[in-house]
Amino acid sequence: MRPRNHPNEPMFTNPEIAVEELPSAAQVEWQALDRRYVMRLQIKALVSGAVALGALLIARLPGMPIPLGAPYALAWIVVGIFVAFGLLWPIWSVPRKRYAVRDKDILYRSGVFWQSVTAIPFNRMQHVETSSTPLDRRFGLATLQLFTAGGAGGDLKMHGLPADIAERLRTFVLERIGDDTERD
Amino acid sequence: MLARNAVQSLAPLAAFVFAFDGDPLANLLLGGSIFLALIVATAALRYWFFRYCITDSSILIRDGIFNKRQLDIAYTRIQAINTQQNILYQQLGLVTVNFDTAGSSAAEGYLPAVRAELVSSLERRIRQQPTVADVPLESEAASAPTERHELLRLTAGDIVLVGLSSSRVFLLFALAGPIGDYVDRHFSEQLEESALIEALTAANSSPGGGVFAAFVVIALIVLLLFSISIVGSFIRYHGFTVTAGDARLRSTGGLLTRHEHSINKAKVQSVVIIQPAALRLFRRFRLRVRQISSGRAGSSRDFVVPICRGRHVPVLEREVFGDELADLSPDPFASTVSPVSPHYLRSRIVLFGVVPSIAALVGLWPVAGPTALLSLGWMLPSTLYFWLTYRRFGLSVLQNGFAFRSGLVGYRVNIWLHRKVQRLTITQSPFQRRRKLASMRFHLASGSISVPFTDHAMALQLQDYLLYRIESS
Repeated sequence: MRPRNHPNEPMFTNPEIAVEELPSAAQVEWQALDRRYVMRLQIKALVSGAVALGALLIARLPGMPIPLGAPYALAWIVVGIFVAFGLLWPIWSVPRKRYAVRDKDILYRSGVFWQSVTAIPFNRMQHVETSSTPLDRRFGLATLQLFTAGGAGGDLKMHGLPADIAERLRTFVLERIGDDTERD
Repeated sequence: MLARNAVQSLAPLAAFVFAFDGDPLANLLLGGSIFLALIVATAALRYWFFRYCITDSSILIRDGIFNKRQLDIAYTRIQAINTQQNILYQQLGLVTVNFDTAGSSAAEGYLPAVRAELVSSLERRIRQQPTVADVPLESEAASAPTERHELLRLTAGDIVLVGLSSSRVFLLFALAGPIGDYVDRHFSEQLEESALIEALTAANSSPGGGVFAAFVVIALIVLLLFSISIVGSFIRYHGFTVTAGDARLRSTGGLLTRHEHSINKAKVQSVVIIQPAALRLFRRFRLRVRQISSGRAGSSRDFVVPICRGRHVPVLEREVFGDELADLSPDPFASTVSPVSPHYLRSRIVLFGVVPSIAALVGLWPVAGPTALLSLGWMLPSTLYFWLTYRRFGLSVLQNGFAFRSGLVGYRVNIWLHRKVQRLTITQSPFQRRRKLASMRFHLASGSISVPFTDHAMALQLQDYLLYRIESS
């Protein structure tokens, strides 16, 4: 990102900035995800549980070559635990997922026990993508995915954004990426 | 292309010969004929359907017999050009060219069997292109080739050390099992009559002879594996030299197939200096210069210097980073390197040593009784492991970059510039929150680097500082 000097442009300057004067990530106003995302995750858990229960009930039909008994009972317990977890976990996890858009970067915070904060500067973003599943669209939600250079390490996905906010964010990020590319 | 297919087909041919019962010679003749026919047919079809076109801004490649593929690789996306030249190609003046690109792994291309002059012409064209992501240094933009200077050349002794310290030896140990089974199945009768077995049997009958025989057999196997590894190193690294010039590092080497790997210094993401335990004995180092990775497993595009002396390391570092990391200490164990918090050691010992040991003790006691106390023995190796890793961890925050040391018996030092960081993640566990600690993960385009158990306030300050450096870079 080295600036290209033109004869008419002012000479490149690089004044020193005190670290204390830098904007701090600790003092940002975090935006919460849409509350409907909790219900969307719970419905997904219920649908997955219903499919698993259906499979367990089919296994009970006469003539099925699947032995009933202790393993079968254990399967019911496991499915029950997964469904209960899928219904309760979003109530804790979703309110803890937050994001903040600043002038130079996007911050994303997540995690119930292991809490993490990721910062992606705009001039490191390669492109941005929004996507939504049929269930997302039913709840008016979308996922925003931010891509940086290189495929290693994965990219940042922000699920559960209201669809209009995701679209506005996408447009905003694209504009910022364009600005940075032009500036480069 | 014919030669390439022939080499690729050798493995299934060997499998065919060994897998089917019967006379190996007859299998070889039958299998060889079938594979030869397949090789010729495939090569002819691939040659017929392979087309490429070099334009002012990109290379167009079209190939595929059934699955058609068309690639348009813009010069601006090309990170490095690698060439290979086997013995046949050396005679014909041909090379195989591979392009490393910054995009997805699926979009990488290669040109098989093209004239060697084409490579230098392509390099000139690529140098003349303005890049999108990383604007090259002004010296790089000059179209006239600059003089290259040699940074290091491997001696025969160095190549022997590469073979001795190679992890290939362990791979060969793994391969020795199936080959041993085959030998046992087909040649056991002949071996029983051989002089070696007679000698070993005689040795076995004398007191202590069994131990001696086992020692001799193991020593022979180890010697054989190391010999194979050393021969492999000579084939790959014979005449290995690293040169610098026109903003690129270039390595050439190889006995049969000549490998040439070049990397644009402006596109380097990080440098890793490695001293595994085996190389520590010989006071040698290994160096990996990492560039943008597609993330595909096993698709390492690192520029590797397999072995070098201590005096070469700062030279290579300076060649890659220039004056930007002038404050980097040549000693990875210098006092300026900050250790991670001692709470790392405590939490890891409790989490992976004490808790599993006690859980195993409680779980096994009703079944095994006092014997279950043996499970507490797990605490000793786990403590030793985490103590060794803790001692290796160390972070240097430099004016323009970072250096992070890690390892177990040997060590590795990752060095990267602030402006190469793509994003930073700061994570805190409940334990870390109580102690005001955090773990940092620096995401580079070549992969990520984790720094555990640092001060949380420092991590936040670094996050802000990094943003400032990235913006002002």
